[in-house]
Amino acid sequence: MQIKYTLPLLAVAGFLFAAYTVRNSYQPPPVAKAVTEPASAPFKAFIAGAGIVEAQSRNIDIGTPLPGIIKTVTVKVGDQVKAGAALFYLDDRDTRATLAIKLADLAKAKADVSVAKATFIDAKSLNDLAEAVTDRRAISAEELLRRRNAMLIAKARLESAQALVQQAEASLADTETTLNRLIVRAPIAGEVLQVNIRPGEFAQAGFLNTPLLVLGNLDQLHVRVDIDENDAWRFDKNSKAIAFLRGNRRFKVDLKLAYVEPFVVPKKSLTGDSTERVDTRVLQALYQFDRKQLPIYVGQQMDVFIEAQDYSTSKDSENHQDAQGSSL
Amino acid sequence: MNHIALKMLMGDKSKYIGIVMGLTFASLIMTQQPAIFLGLMTRTYSFISDVGLPDIWVMDSKVQFVDDIKPLQDTELYRVRGISGVEWAMPMYKGLLKARLTDGRFQTCNVVGLDDATLIGGPPVMLEGKIEDLRRSDSVIVDIDGARDKLGKPSPIPGGKRIPLKVGDSLELNDHRAIVVGIAKVSRTFQSQPVVYTTYSRAKSYAPRERKLLSFILVKAKKGQNLAELTRRIREATGLAAYTQEEFKTLTYEYFMHNTGIPINFGTSVLLGFIVGAAIAGQTFYNFTLGNLLQFGVLKAMGTSNWILLRMILLQAVLVGSIGYGLGVGLTALFGHAMRHSILAFRFPWQLLIFSGAGVSLICVFAAMISIVKVIRLEPAIVFKG
Repeated sequence: MQIKYTLPLLAVAGFLFAAYTVRNSYQPPPVAKAVTEPASAPFKAFIAGAGIVEAQSRNIDIGTPLPGIIKTVTVKVGDQVKAGAALFYLDDRDTRATLAIKLADLAKAKADVSVAKATFIDAKSLNDLAEAVTDRRAISAEELLRRRNAMLIAKARLESAQALVQQAEASLADTETTLNRLIVRAPIAGEVLQVNIRPGEFAQAGFLNTPLLVLGNLDQLHVRVDIDENDAWRFDKNSKAIAFLRGNRRFKVDLKLAYVEPFVVPKKSLTGDSTERVDTRVLQALYQFDRKQLPIYVGQQMDVFIEAQDYSTSKDSENHQDAQGSSL
Repeated sequence: MNHIALKMLMGDKSKYIGIVMGLTFASLIMTQQPAIFLGLMTRTYSFISDVGLPDIWVMDSKVQFVDDIKPLQDTELYRVRGISGVEWAMPMYKGLLKARLTDGRFQTCNVVGLDDATLIGGPPVMLEGKIEDLRRSDSVIVDIDGARDKLGKPSPIPGGKRIPLKVGDSLELNDHRAIVVGIAKVSRTFQSQPVVYTTYSRAKSYAPRERKLLSFILVKAKKGQNLAELTRRIREATGLAAYTQEEFKTLTYEYFMHNTGIPINFGTSVLLGFIVGAAIAGQTFYNFTLGNLLQFGVLKAMGTSNWILLRMILLQAVLVGSIGYGLGVGLTALFGHAMRHSILAFRFPWQLLIFSGAGVSLICVFAAMISIVKVIRLEPAIVFKG
């Protein structure tokens, strides 16, 4: 009998196929591995924060005291400069022309002094002559008075001319200062981190979004760590801290606290987005580290872990204290 | 005796096939419908399964399921990172953004932003390109289904097949340029929107201006950590919700169970399959027993005990039940196999085999019971009446 075997066989085949489908139908998707292993804290309890590397002197945005067209830029990015070294020169033709005028003015004033001096000597000798006459009848009193007055006037003129020289000199010094201010110099010894100006461009005085030139002392680097205000109470100045380089967690460095800015500021997102969103306030702690230990650049982000009190235990002791407080 | 029982059963081909057909049908419906249901439900949390690496997902405490995005502040990431027991914590952006295609059409895409440095949470299988390519400027990775269909370029022949999006093609995400650098294979999601992977910071620039943009924080626990303990710690320290991967799947799944008509819809189908199957198989089996009542009477008159008769009927029931069940699950598997490349959601776990087996057994027991009652109450004398 055909049907006697067909149906059971079909059924067995069906069940086996179903069992096979069950075995093979669902394979969980493979787990995508991390491209680089993320950094993880070496401490049991810790505070995590984003850090940004900056120069020890902070990054100095160099400004210009006077606005003007840039004549020459004497440094390039990466240059080591001494304190007081010229960084760039502004156009000074105008001021130099004024300087020439001022110099001429000074020369004129000095010449005027000579004239006044000669006049004074002339008046003085005439007066001396008159004074020298012992017989009062030989010279009228009026003549004597005139000569004395002429001498006094000449003296006053001489003093005025001398004052004018002083004035001309001061004016010259003023122009020279202006000329000096057209040369922008390094306020500290350091490295040129960024140059955003080229000869011929107009440098504006005042605060600029893009600094003309960035200078920093890179002997020691600092990492500025943002600690969320909600975590700030856990922060201890004496605890250990470690920073990891982003992109390769094998690069890490021990940090030493430099200082803590006691003013809690709104967090600027360090994501590099052009529009920075303020979402919370952060305590900023500055740590220093040895630059030679890491291939790192100023402005780079780091993952920082700061050891902290164990949260759970401290919480228990807090409760305990509360209980004691209420019993008292 | 068993031989007689089998002869009795297969003697009447039409009735035999009738019973088997009824049970096959019931078994098919009771397997195939739940399989589709399970497939759909798996899709609701397929995104969570795809991102396999993290142990714990941290999100706003009011999040109801995986697509219910309630963004967090960026600093929450560092707070979570600072909880003891956390190996690492990474940001993830997930959101729906409008993509403008080359032909001017708009398509809503599921944009996923991965941590810039580690790219954790990326697609599980890359078909073309590498995940690292996301480090290139303006780069995105799209999923193969999206690239083939919804993000594809229109065919040069009207009505023809779309030209799939390829590596090197560009699209516009929220007025920003995006270059495809890779094609990935991801599990289909419930809404079946194309998935676009990019880095977290780029996703933030693609996303419309909002104060908060961090959708999820992915957390890996340190080795040997108790996950339940760690999620509790995260919840207490940050006030956010923290779920293990399984918990988050359950949360998503429960949301769809309670807030959509899907379970009722499929539940009704399964119930109908059961009832109709039970009715057909039960009635045919009962009819068949009635038809063979004379034979049973003779056996009883010959002194066969009730126990042996009962065993005969049970054997018949078990046989038709097994055949029906085997055919039913076989057909379901065939259906699933035929549909494996279509968009149909189909999932066939071993529990389902037991479920439909139990259903068919119940029908058989029910059918056998009414027959057994009839046979046991049978008076042997009936054979000699009429």
